[in-house]
Amino acid sequence: MILLQRFLLVCALLFSIGSLARADDFADAVSGFSADSFSATEKALDGVVQSNNARAAAIVEALQKERLFYAPATKQVVVKDASGAVLDAATGAKLAEAPTELKSVRLNNRLRRAVEAASGQMTLLSADTQKRIAAAQAVYKARDVAALANVETALNKETDPVAKSALSDARAAILLAKPGVSEADQLSAVTQLRARGDQEARAILSSLPDATPPAVKASAQSAVAAIDSRLAFWSNLQNVWYGLSLGSVLLLAAIGLAITFGVMGVINMAHGEMVMLGAYTTFVVQEYARAKAPALLDYSLLIAVPLAFLVAGAVGVLIERTIIRFLYGRPLETLLATFGVSLILQQAVRTIFGANNREVSAPPFMSGSFHLGGLEITYGRMWIVLFALAVFVGLQILLRFTPFGLRMRAVTQNRRMASSMGVDTNRIDALAFGLGSGIAGMAGVALSQIDNVSPNLGQSYIIDSFMVVVFGGVGNLWGTLLGAMTLGVANKFLEPFIGAVLGKIALLVFIILFIQKRPRGLFALKGRAVEA
Amino acid sequence: MENLALTQSLLYLDGVAVSFDGYKALRGLSLTLAPGEMRAIIGPNGAGKTTMMDVITGKTRPDEGVVLFGGTEDLTQLDEAAIAQLGVGRKFQKPTMFESQSVEDNILLALKAPREARATLFGKPAPDTRERIDRILETIKLTAHRKRMAADLSHGQKQWLEIGMLLAQDPKLLLVDEPVAGMTDAETMQTADLLREIARDHSVVVVEHDMDFVRKLGVKVTVLHEGAVLAEGPLDQVSADPRVIEVYLGR
Amino acid sequence: MLQTLLDKRTLIAVLLCAVAAVAVPILSLVVPPSSPLHMPPYVVALIGKYLCYAILAVALDLVWGYCGILSLGHGAFFALGGYAMGMYLMRQIGARGVYGNPLLPDFMVFLNWKALPVAWWGFQSFPYAALMAMLAPGALAFAFGWLAFRSRVTGVYLSIITQAMTYALMLAFFRNDMGFGGNNGLTDFKDILGFNIQSDATRAALFSASAIVLILALLVGRFLVTSKFGKVLIAIRDAESRARFLGYRVEYYKLAVFTVSAMLAGVAGALYVPQVGIINPGEFAPANSIEAVIWVAVGGRGTLVGAALGAVLVNFGKTVFTGALPEYWLFALGLLFVLVTLFLPKGILGALDSLKRKPAPPIEPADADVAPKIAG
Repeated sequence: MILLQRFLLVCALLFSIGSLARADDFADAVSGFSADSFSATEKALDGVVQSNNARAAAIVEALQKERLFYAPATKQVVVKDASGAVLDAATGAKLAEAPTELKSVRLNNRLRRAVEAASGQMTLLSADTQKRIAAAQAVYKARDVAALANVETALNKETDPVAKSALSDARAAILLAKPGVSEADQLSAVTQLRARGDQEARAILSSLPDATPPAVKASAQSAVAAIDSRLAFWSNLQNVWYGLSLGSVLLLAAIGLAITFGVMGVINMAHGEMVMLGAYTTFVVQEYARAKAPALLDYSLLIAVPLAFLVAGAVGVLIERTIIRFLYGRPLETLLATFGVSLILQQAVRTIFGANNREVSAPPFMSGSFHLGGLEITYGRMWIVLFALAVFVGLQILLRFTPFGLRMRAVTQNRRMASSMGVDTNRIDALAFGLGSGIAGMAGVALSQIDNVSPNLGQSYIIDSFMVVVFGGVGNLWGTLLGAMTLGVANKFLEPFIGAVLGKIALLVFIILFIQKRPRGLFALKGRAVEA
Repeated sequence: MENLALTQSLLYLDGVAVSFDGYKALRGLSLTLAPGEMRAIIGPNGAGKTTMMDVITGKTRPDEGVVLFGGTEDLTQLDEAAIAQLGVGRKFQKPTMFESQSVEDNILLALKAPREARATLFGKPAPDTRERIDRILETIKLTAHRKRMAADLSHGQKQWLEIGMLLAQDPKLLLVDEPVAGMTDAETMQTADLLREIARDHSVVVVEHDMDFVRKLGVKVTVLHEGAVLAEGPLDQVSADPRVIEVYLGR
Repeated sequence: MLQTLLDKRTLIAVLLCAVAAVAVPILSLVVPPSSPLHMPPYVVALIGKYLCYAILAVALDLVWGYCGILSLGHGAFFALGGYAMGMYLMRQIGARGVYGNPLLPDFMVFLNWKALPVAWWGFQSFPYAALMAMLAPGALAFAFGWLAFRSRVTGVYLSIITQAMTYALMLAFFRNDMGFGGNNGLTDFKDILGFNIQSDATRAALFSASAIVLILALLVGRFLVTSKFGKVLIAIRDAESRARFLGYRVEYYKLAVFTVSAMLAGVAGALYVPQVGIINPGEFAPANSIEAVIWVAVGGRGTLVGAALGAVLVNFGKTVFTGALPEYWLFALGLLFVLVTLFLPKGILGALDSLKRKPAPPIEPADADVAPKIAG
């Protein structure tokens, strides 16, 4: 029965192509757009779609893009193309003289859906594979019963595997919506949609027509449950990803602080401003590239990374040499002095660049996103995560395998001993401070992509960074990594339940309580080394 | 069964073990101190002398073992302040006092008196306070400097001020960590006299490296090694012990 | 006894405050506006504000100067006291608000709330509000200190978590559902104790009240620090573990002085709000608390009078600067932080002392416990 139906439909389609008699019907249908009524437009759309005229696709597209017009005076229906030229809708001929008054063919929501479905049908047979896939997805979403024949035709011809699976999903969706389809076909359609497992499939399966056989309904119900648990899984995973991405930002901001705090026991309240300087360095590099070397614009971020390190690092060394070294052994005073420095740096940047946010654009490799299973991953976030990890690994290598790293670890663990073994602790302090500040500068390059570049940029990260360092434990970069990631993920999991602000408050309170239990953080140096 | 050593001792340590990140600072240390006894503790660096003091004064909690004071008080359950109030005084290796306060006030703060905040805020000082302070300043020879800031004292004077503070505390047990480090010979000998005088009515544990000083004290000696007791007895006896010579005194 | 309590400096400060408490109302109310001696109401309010800051500075000096606890969260106690007073003033508006609701403040009507939140009960009474202005900050300080001091969180760690505390409170008070007016805070006050809050006479009275409270703050502070209790505080500041081994329960001393200080800060906030006419969550901003620290540092920590002096001087400088060169105020403030810590670590009064007394004692605590045990 179904085979016969299909056969007839295919025959009808083949027969209809190029039929002259139909051409007149087509012109009639087109003229329906000039009636200025939604029902006439709907009829006209139907006629155009059924006509299989070569112009049909162009008209549907014009309708979709709201470029279909009619002249109230002559009832002529025209299409404006992208260049603004006016073409006759039915013939595609360019009009020498455009009608003086044009009114657009109006759409309501119902029509808009119909247009979308029609457009899906029209392009199912397009030569472009991407267009075919998009069309199949449009039909799948619309579940347009009328499109079944077109879908099946296209399915038979299709060779591309992706397009084929999209088409067969579309067919399954239609089969479930269409009355009179056999139970076996519907059951296999349920199975197929279950395998697809997205929100749309869930919507289709949970809103089957009342007439659907009970066996199909039951199967659909279990499919919905399966999809739900699958979606929950992916949504949790997505949250983990968001958390890791937030954690990477925290890690970038905190890791420099961990170094200066770990090595020197110094709280650098101007640390956030180092981040800010890095972000402004990015801005300057980008502006320079835009003005002087447009070819480098796409690479401005890459150029900014080392520059930001140098700028912030140099400022850091300067602060250490001119202020902090005179306050050694007085951590509370250091805290106050560096807070003063942070005020000065903020105001300096405000004076030079103005108080407003500065725009730093994203290079092409950081825009867009891709899917990984049920995850949506934006390139921007992905690069920031990778960048944070790269900085972390780089720093570990620096600390473990270089003489400078060895000296720095020695000073961290036992300053007096290191000093008596001939380590120039003054030099190490200056370099460690420069290193910590430089890393903060690099963090600024990454943060310029996700936050407003303003003089206050650093302020919003400083308390979070402290929390990460304190939570992770001083003198241990692994603690900082774990602290940052834990706080990032916890934040993202709390957000849906209690909101972003309360989530943040909850975490602050948690850390305040945590530090009572473990005053030295998750991974503290223990034993006599720290007691001296 | 009643343990005589336990009930009659002032300080009783049994099987005390402490470790830091896998490093065993004390491994089964046992030690008994009779009331009124003075004891010198010697041992190489890392033998656990300071850790032992930390355990007795409540700074470090032992992983296992028994620490009893006066035969009844379980010191592992108390904090520093409670142990100090029980009557255990401690002198650090590096003299620590309240540098920005006068010598007199340092003694006043140490003087045995109620330690609660309310008492120090609203309470009246005991009538003999002044007299007691005078007596202690006399003992530690700082009467002339009573109004000076503690920070302005010489190193030796600071050591004495700290000992004076311990006297003011009037503890049942005094723990003294390397009291003569950095002192001149004359000061060392004076300090030995001072400690012997104190030992007349207090129990004292002295940790010291200086063998001449230990000899001058003339008391029972305990040798620690790797967190446990290696030998115990009069100095002449332990210094003849081949194991002690091996690990500490050198051949 | 009275002599130790009122040393020369305290006596001068107390007398100055007493003179101001009497003279300012006269200059403002009795002296006619045409006279050059007349004090315009805005100046009265401005100096009144300085005095509130001075009370906050005295409170901060008690914990930082005498006990070594560098609190970067005292602004929170100040703001809580301010909110308690603000709630009383809001309830006094009654039916005169925009929405004319006799019970609910305007912002609650706007948010479509039907009943007064429990936290607002009782605030129509001035004595209750005044009590809460002390108890609320005191309770927070007690709870916070109970946790922090017993776990021996000291040094920069403590500073950071006090900062996190005020930051968390700021975020919380920004929320509308907290029930304290959200973003906009509490404002549009009408009267206090039945007197019009805008009138010159009320302003002068509030000024005198601030001056008297400052006198009381200095006296209470002096009483604390000159007692044996104060000596113990200094002992804890200089050598915490020595104090412990002498048998002092360090955490209780810290808790006591921290709580008293927070209550004093709350009183300062309660006096501040009617004089400036508004309280909003911005008062919890961490930067405010750090700014208060620099007042104490400028005047000289551990001197009480110096702290008050520093608060007045720095804020006077701020007024002058923001009037003449608004761009440069942050530069000046930043430099002040740097220069004072580098070159004037004991503040103005401390430097005067050093000039008098030749051999300067080391200002840094000798005990490693006071400094963070990080680098070993």
